[in-house]
Amino acid sequence: MQEEQVREEADPSYRWGMTVDLDRCTGCEACVTACHAENNIPTVGPDEAARGRAMHWMRIERYFEGEFPDVQVKFRPVFCQQCDNAPCEPVCPTYASHHTEEGLNAQVYNRCIGTRYCANACSYNTRLFNFFNPEWEKPLNLQLNPDVSVREVGVMEKCTFCIQRINETKIEAKASGETVQDGAIKTACVQACTSNALVFGNLNDRESEVSRLSRSHRGSKLLDDLGTKPSVTYLQRETWHESGNR
Amino acid sequence: MDRRKFVQITAATGATATLASCGNPENELIRFLPDEYLVPGISVWKPSICPLCSAGCGLTVRVIEGDVEVVRNDQAGVVTKGLVKKLEGNPEHPVSQGKLCVRGQAAIQVTYHPDRITGPLKRSGERGSGQFAPITWEEAQAELVSQLDGLAAAGNQNALAFLTRPLSGQRGRLVDRFLDRFGAPPPIAFEVFGEDVLRRANLASYGFSQLPTPDLARSNYVIGFGADFLGTWNSPVSQNVAYGEMRKGRPGVRAKFVQVEPRMSQTGANADEWVPARLGSEGVLALGLAHVIMDTGLASAEDAGRAGLLIEGWSDGLPAYTPEEVERLTGVDARKVRRLGREFAENGPAIALIGGPPLAQTNGLFHALAVNALNALGGSFGTPGGIFFTPRPEGSDNGSRRSLREIASDIRDGTGSPIEILLLNDTNPVFGAPPAWGVMEALSSIPYIASFGQFIDETSNLADLILPDHSFLESWVDSEPESGTALAVRSVAPPAMRPLHDTRGMPDVLLEAGRSLATPLDPALPWQTYREALQSAFEALPATDESTDNWTLAQAQGGIWSEASAQPSDDQTSDRGAAAFEEAQFDGDTGEYPFHFLPFISQSFLDGSLAHLPWLQELPDVLSSAMWGSWVEINPKTAGGFGIVQGDLIEVTSAHGAVRAPAFVSPAIAPDVIAMPVGQGHENFTRYASGRGANPITILAPVVEPETGALAWAATRVRVEKIDGEGGLILYGGALREHPEHSR
Repeated sequence: MQEEQVREEADPSYRWGMTVDLDRCTGCEACVTACHAENNIPTVGPDEAARGRAMHWMRIERYFEGEFPDVQVKFRPVFCQQCDNAPCEPVCPTYASHHTEEGLNAQVYNRCIGTRYCANACSYNTRLFNFFNPEWEKPLNLQLNPDVSVREVGVMEKCTFCIQRINETKIEAKASGETVQDGAIKTACVQACTSNALVFGNLNDRESEVSRLSRSHRGSKLLDDLGTKPSVTYLQRETWHESGNR
Repeated sequence: MDRRKFVQITAATGATATLASCGNPENELIRFLPDEYLVPGISVWKPSICPLCSAGCGLTVRVIEGDVEVVRNDQAGVVTKGLVKKLEGNPEHPVSQGKLCVRGQAAIQVTYHPDRITGPLKRSGERGSGQFAPITWEEAQAELVSQLDGLAAAGNQNALAFLTRPLSGQRGRLVDRFLDRFGAPPPIAFEVFGEDVLRRANLASYGFSQLPTPDLARSNYVIGFGADFLGTWNSPVSQNVAYGEMRKGRPGVRAKFVQVEPRMSQTGANADEWVPARLGSEGVLALGLAHVIMDTGLASAEDAGRAGLLIEGWSDGLPAYTPEEVERLTGVDARKVRRLGREFAENGPAIALIGGPPLAQTNGLFHALAVNALNALGGSFGTPGGIFFTPRPEGSDNGSRRSLREIASDIRDGTGSPIEILLLNDTNPVFGAPPAWGVMEALSSIPYIASFGQFIDETSNLADLILPDHSFLESWVDSEPESGTALAVRSVAPPAMRPLHDTRGMPDVLLEAGRSLATPLDPALPWQTYREALQSAFEALPATDESTDNWTLAQAQGGIWSEASAQPSDDQTSDRGAAAFEEAQFDGDTGEYPFHFLPFISQSFLDGSLAHLPWLQELPDVLSSAMWGSWVEINPKTAGGFGIVQGDLIEVTSAHGAVRAPAFVSPAIAPDVIAMPVGQGHENFTRYASGRGANPITILAPVVEPETGALAWAATRVRVEKIDGEGGLILYGGALREHPEHSR
């Protein structure tokens, strides 16, 4: 159903993308829990987490630089980069992992047979496999978002750019005969981001904030030389210059 | 509605148990009807307030219909209810500004937690055995009233005590008033990481006994002394919003941020420059900067006003704090002291903030006064890009609360008036107070304890009667933020959903008890419900909007807020003597216990009160990426000396006890400091938190900051030792590991 929805509503005038301003990001992790809450992401418990199976569509990578006492830390939020040239797509034998006309790497859960080829191929380690059926100990099941399907055992999942929020806004816009306004769609992580480091929008609209930011001189793509053409642009952290000493 | 229509509706909503209750009064049936405002598949956003910390962030919560399994009259069935599905920051609210922190995002799990107490309970086994039997609310309420009547009949109203986490707003006033009219002393407020030291210092330096609101968005230079303002300290959401603006909100201007702390916090990780000054010497560094500023003529002593006069030698330019002397005391290079001082003065507006470990020292008040003086010297009080104080309604100060430490000690010594009945609200001192305070023994000796807790935890496990409160999404909530905005804010919100369980709001239980006493408190507590108390409080306020009344407006937008100027307190202790640096006193011999022990507030669990939420248990700590457990942070050099590598089980021992946890080897901690997150190590706190990790508070020495009596939680010394056994460190970061059994 999700796939049909995507196809039916696809509009090539949109190409969704995100920018991550590493100079704003504070590593507060509000995006991580917001993503869990929006997308019905289960917890796996300590034993499975120790096997590296914790499900986080969004993670904050932390890099230590230098040694005590001259230590610096850099944070980098990482999630599916929604590549234009995505390594996860051609390897899928069932076309569960495929590209939409709006530039998303969509995942059709009902088609997925759990080969995990896509996770092997992904350069960013952002695809997560359901090794078990998710458990929602009652009444925790009542928190589930009715707009997002709960994935079962044997299915691969990953960041969808909150497709349910994109579709909702598009449908609303269509109903009122308009196009989606810049800033009208906020994915759960963007909505939650306390320091406004994350910006989401239409890359095909040159006036949109995300489009403007992704052309910034600070911008770069993650593992750009792999040729995956991510839709996510990272804006590098800056260093302080005392105006008088520049 | 006729019966036929009713059956159609319940059939459509999948209610299966309804027919069994036919023939019963209508109020049984009415439960099975969905709320009127709900249209299937359409979500409604309602205001609420996050209760997890004292910041008081305004929420907007998404409500949509859903099917809830229930048991009514011993029949299982399904009812359709409005259910909260997602919490987001209220964009109109001056504190949260549309944002919400990692903990607030997970707060929804409080309401839907599988281990919530579903109805009133009475102890059925030995105290502390955890055996409780369900009773009805009528029985529970009658028992509470008979206990209170017993006290009143004996003329012993003084022996009623109310132990709570600090309450704000009308909820707090209602409790105060209940106790006052009953004849009991004011509530005992307990929180592990209280802010009494900073409030005391701010009262002296600025005339405000409250936490500051830094105007980061307009500041050009910020120096933090231990304050984890982007993580857990003060009003983290509003501070994160402002931080984003400070970095990138102004074209061509990017502020510098320096953080002074011996163990890098999440906040420190964002600093342009991280300065690991010696623990317990932070104020010296602040005065070193002030010395440089005055010495080089960038500002003069008078610029600091009264905040400066609280420091010995201030008017003479702080001759005792030369950069060289500061280097000796703090370990920070004298050249760096000179540079930081000059940068602070030349790149204004500049802010100096203090919070956390420096205040939790025997000389914590000195550090706070020193940082305040530096701040005042930079001219950053009450000016754009500086420090502000949130205007507060009258009667919302945090003064005159009794201290749990003194009360526990009185009980143990048999001095002071004995407590006969303890009412326990939303605080867990058995977990959160150092064992040396003897809280467990003191509480155990109280004849009768009634708890309003939503969960069984280490403290409510001692209760004789449990009167479970609603979750915040199911009840009226209100809050008066102490900081985080320059506006005067009174937040309020109606219940966002109907209660899931057979619970009652704590204020309503108190009001009901007040009415039912042999000598009712009626005239003094005129409201039937907490809602009425809120309404009368809001209606009594001057109107803020011409088109509508305060109460309607407040319910619609989640509170009312208006411009106001913060009024300094009249009660200014300006006649205090000037403070001078005295070495911090640490518990434990330096030979036997060579390391400072730094318990830190967990990004996930705060003081441990959120360890029961599975999303937060599985949240990777942002610096270590650890999940589902405790860890000990240790410098690589120190670890190497003991042959400790990442993940090894180590034992941390103080003069007061020992804890075991796996090692996390981190370059971002001083070699003489051992740090550990607070929050895990619960013995008895739901299925997700019980028996997991270790509680560093259990090895803390009962050292206090002498003037305020606040726990100096960073003043304990420890030794470490590698222990044979499984560390059990679970990290999210690192290599793929499908077979951890072989790679460990």
